[in-house]
Amino acid sequence: MVKLLTAQYGVENIVKSFGGAKALSGVSLSVTGGEVHCIAGENGSGKSTLIKIMSGVHAPDSGVIQLGDKTFTHLSPREAVREGVQVIFQDFSLLPNLTVAENIAMPTYILNNSRILSKNQTKEIASNALDLIGIDIDINTPVADISIASKQLIAIARATNLGVKMLFMDEPTTALTRKEIKRLFEVVEQIKARGVATVFVSHKIDEIQEICNTITILRNGEVVGDGLMKDFKRDKISQAMTGLNVSETRIAPKLKKTSKKVVEIKNFTTKPTFSNISFSIAPGEILGMTGLLGSGRTELAEAIFGQYPVDSGEIIVDGKPIHLNSSSEALKAGIGYVPPDRLTQGLFLEQSILNNLVAVGIDQYQSKGGRLSKSRLAQAGERWIKDLRIKTNNPQNPVTSLSGGNQQRVVLAKWLAMNPHLMILNGPTVGVDIGSKREILEIIRDRAQEGMAFLVVSDDIPELVQICHRVIVIKNGQISKEFSEAQLDEKVLYKELS
Amino acid sequence: MNERFSKFNTGLLADRKITQLMIFTALTFIFFSYVSKDIFFTSSNFVSMAYQIPEIAILSIALMLSMLTGGIDLSIVSISNAAALVASWVMTTKMGESENLSNKWIIIACVLGTIVGLLAGAVNSILVARLNVTPILATLATMTLFNGIAIGMTNGESVSGLPEQFMRVGNGTFFGIPTPFVLMILIAIAVGFLVNRTTLGLKVFLVGTNRKAAQYSVMGDRKVIAWVYLISGLLSSLAGLIIASRTSAASPDFGSSYILLAIVIVVLGGVNPNGGFGTVTGVILATAVLQMVSSGFNALRFSQFFYLAAQGGVLIFVMILNVVLENRRTNKSIAKSLRS
Amino acid sequence: MNIKKLLLRNETALIIAIILLSLVIGIKSPEFFTLANLFDIFRSSFVQLIFALGVLIVIISGGIDISFPAVGIFAGYTAVVLMQRFEWNPENLLLPIALAIIIGTILGAINSIAIATFGIPTLIATLGTSGIFRGIMLTFIGSSFISDIPIALDNFATADLLKIQPEEGTLARLHILIIPVAILTILVSLLLTRTMFGRSVYALGGGVEATRRLGISVKRTQAKIYMLVGGLSGLAGILYVSLQRKANPYDLTGSELDIIAAVVLGGASIMGGYGTVFGTVLGVLLISLIKGNLILLGVSGSWQRAAVGALLLIGITVQALNESKKAKNRRVSTSDEAGE
Repeated sequence: MVKLLTAQYGVENIVKSFGGAKALSGVSLSVTGGEVHCIAGENGSGKSTLIKIMSGVHAPDSGVIQLGDKTFTHLSPREAVREGVQVIFQDFSLLPNLTVAENIAMPTYILNNSRILSKNQTKEIASNALDLIGIDIDINTPVADISIASKQLIAIARATNLGVKMLFMDEPTTALTRKEIKRLFEVVEQIKARGVATVFVSHKIDEIQEICNTITILRNGEVVGDGLMKDFKRDKISQAMTGLNVSETRIAPKLKKTSKKVVEIKNFTTKPTFSNISFSIAPGEILGMTGLLGSGRTELAEAIFGQYPVDSGEIIVDGKPIHLNSSSEALKAGIGYVPPDRLTQGLFLEQSILNNLVAVGIDQYQSKGGRLSKSRLAQAGERWIKDLRIKTNNPQNPVTSLSGGNQQRVVLAKWLAMNPHLMILNGPTVGVDIGSKREILEIIRDRAQEGMAFLVVSDDIPELVQICHRVIVIKNGQISKEFSEAQLDEKVLYKELS
Repeated sequence: MNERFSKFNTGLLADRKITQLMIFTALTFIFFSYVSKDIFFTSSNFVSMAYQIPEIAILSIALMLSMLTGGIDLSIVSISNAAALVASWVMTTKMGESENLSNKWIIIACVLGTIVGLLAGAVNSILVARLNVTPILATLATMTLFNGIAIGMTNGESVSGLPEQFMRVGNGTFFGIPTPFVLMILIAIAVGFLVNRTTLGLKVFLVGTNRKAAQYSVMGDRKVIAWVYLISGLLSSLAGLIIASRTSAASPDFGSSYILLAIVIVVLGGVNPNGGFGTVTGVILATAVLQMVSSGFNALRFSQFFYLAAQGGVLIFVMILNVVLENRRTNKSIAKSLRS
Repeated sequence: MNIKKLLLRNETALIIAIILLSLVIGIKSPEFFTLANLFDIFRSSFVQLIFALGVLIVIISGGIDISFPAVGIFAGYTAVVLMQRFEWNPENLLLPIALAIIIGTILGAINSIAIATFGIPTLIATLGTSGIFRGIMLTFIGSSFISDIPIALDNFATADLLKIQPEEGTLARLHILIIPVAILTILVSLLLTRTMFGRSVYALGGGVEATRRLGISVKRTQAKIYMLVGGLSGLAGILYVSLQRKANPYDLTGSELDIIAAVVLGGASIMGGYGTVFGTVLGVLLISLIKGNLILLGVSGSWQRAAVGALLLIGITVQALNESKKAKNRRVSTSDEAGE
């Protein structure tokens, strides 16, 4: 046990390039058994490459990997597992059609090269694994029917069961409620006591600050800061990650007093997801909406956009009641929606930037007979590229040629081009680097000043405090509290959520 | 202002693929002309090819449409046969009644045939767009059903002896060009216009590129899919009518190997089987290539079975080529994104 | 498992359908309820079931294989041709069977290369290989009908386990195949549920990337799957030849539809990850029931395919409606899946 607690895991001077582009240039880090380490970095900082090298997916060009008292120049995935390195990705890599028991037991069978499986043995392996981390879940349920938080715990149980020594968790707190984060941390304490070196790869500094002992900050493939977590405050970390002095002060614009309402929601109910939801948004107002996972906040947002059924209730847009049976109707009524995952839900990756920009408003560019007016299309493209400062020299280039931040601007532009009266943004800055984050908030501010109403659904409390006029908190499908402009404060919001 | 704005669908890629295909078509032509001077490189052969290409080209264009949206319509041949059967049945029944069959009835028969195509397409539309059934499964089921109904109603026998005026369409000429060929060009232009210059067309490409994103961003995305299967059904029925006109017969099992041929053509023509990319020009060129291969094999006395094997071989080969090229392109873009 | 869950399962619906159908047919024609008829249904199901077991494995893994009839007839026909060409002992029953299985496995390996090595989408890959197999067979191995198959194979057609002569009516003959087929069915079921390979098949259907991350070799598992299906199809092919007492290289075309229908109706999801042997057995029984006994309902045999098509259509519609209901419920409990 002592050996485990003093074992060192890490890398020394790792260099890795992909076809001429340097992903990592001389990165070194070290984690002790029983320690919880945080690797912070933006997209493109090299953190995913680092994980992949440590888990055997890629081989470094030079440098060594240190696992306990063994040194390696490179690893194969199976070797990595055998040496105790495991990665839990954001999708947990679970098989939804198999039961919890089978998901947990599979790697054990694979490790032992078993050909035959027995139901009893599977159950035993699974029960033991769950006991090891102190969790109780019905092992006979198919994973498809299990909540996300439980899936994550099952993934951890699976890893622990294999005698994991160094566990990487990629953005572990993204989809969890406060309560579930607490449960996760309890489990982490358990494996910590067992000598496991846990590495959280995350940029949600607030959430992981309490559990992490040490931190390494990556930027552009280099280590720009490391040391004890307590020596790093949030803005120091942000600054190191971006190399910029990014302000996080409040930028919500001054709200013009008016009794007009862009949208009024009255008693939206869809049992059991949400009930009796009523609120309204004035022109130019930025309303924030937050809540725990499972609170119904995403369903609510999607319901306002016509993507989720509403059993009863009314919605009035610009004084006119509308029926929302589909997104097309919501769009016609002047409501837009930016979904949280731009890669799978927001962008048409193989299409040109231009096509992405006009995706929502295609019908606007129609001339007689259903024809597409290409000149108008091109003009619109030019305009939006300029307006939102999208960095490209040719709108015909595929949208994949853009950086992450610019891609998010394209997604926003696509909707802003429709000039909606109400723009619903669900997690607008998820997976966006801190620099672009601020710029996106500025775009929201600018549009709000012109009169556009916003509903920002987010679990990023600091972000909400920066940009919103009001924030409503959803709990168990109902509005639990509304915070006015004067009451907005991070600590108070966090408290309301837990 | 860049004139390239005039082409979307990553126009540069389309240009490149069509150029490659044109070169390939030319090479195939030269090859077979050289290898079989007397039989292949004759005007009678070219004319005969010009009569046979249209029906399969139209079917392939129909297939391309459904593929563009990321789906597939396996029922095109069964719809084509069903339409041909209905039209033929009407014509032969009316022929039996009077000596001279007026053109009116021929037109009615054809209209009924196309209505069959639309109805069949509508069934596909409901399954795929409304009920969200996977296209492979949905069209496999409708293919079986339509084919089954056709067999049931005709007892497996073909309907022949179609009126002469009708046959003139499939075997005659229009200002010197075989009529079916003219029809094919018209249809190709129409579909090309639809796909490249209308709002519906752009939406088709977006839906095929990312169905999920289309659900959120593209207005009327489900309608787009519904239209595609409807038009596919319509085009299939037109192909069926041309077949009936050319062969003077309609049967429930005609062209059972056409679905393989259509997929080969579509893939060779540069259509991405996962959706989001394809050109009508590419499909036409690919049809020409396959027809030349068929005709060339014939001239070289290869059996039709060898042609069947060749189709499969071409399909596999082109797919492997696509995969290899795609891997190279992905590796390049990984490197690129790391730089940015 | 509580009663409600049991009732809602696909297999239960099938059992009910089979019972209802049997009752309807039996009421119209009491001769349905004879042992002779029952044994006949079994006999016509053997070959189908073996094919279906192979198709089930592929579908669970998330793919689709439509080359299996081509593999089957290729293997069966070639085995007979080889026996005759090399004048091997015609009284040896196991030899042609072994040959066919080996040939089938080799053909399956070709599918493996296309799918596992090159990553070609399964529908297109197997469509291509089916053309290649059939084409090569008909061109190079032979296109003629062989009626004098080796005597052991011929005799096997009448190898009955039980012969029961009722007082009036036809002789009821239960073919001996019931034993090996039952054993094979149980073995496949055990393979799928109790072995690492079997669970890997399900894993593949559940998620390719997740399976890869577990350390399971996706390519190797896929290769094994298609070779296994090839072997099973080869076996089915030679048994078909035997039971038909002739080797006709044009046979088995079009049977993909019936068998895929049987597997899908049996509860296997075309998206992969779900499916049971029991369900497939029921599906095959249902299809055999329909195909063989439509006549007893007074419906001509040419409506068989339409009946299968209609059934498949109903089946997939029901599945689609269930899916959307499940999806809605699931969203409620695991909401806020950020970007899933």
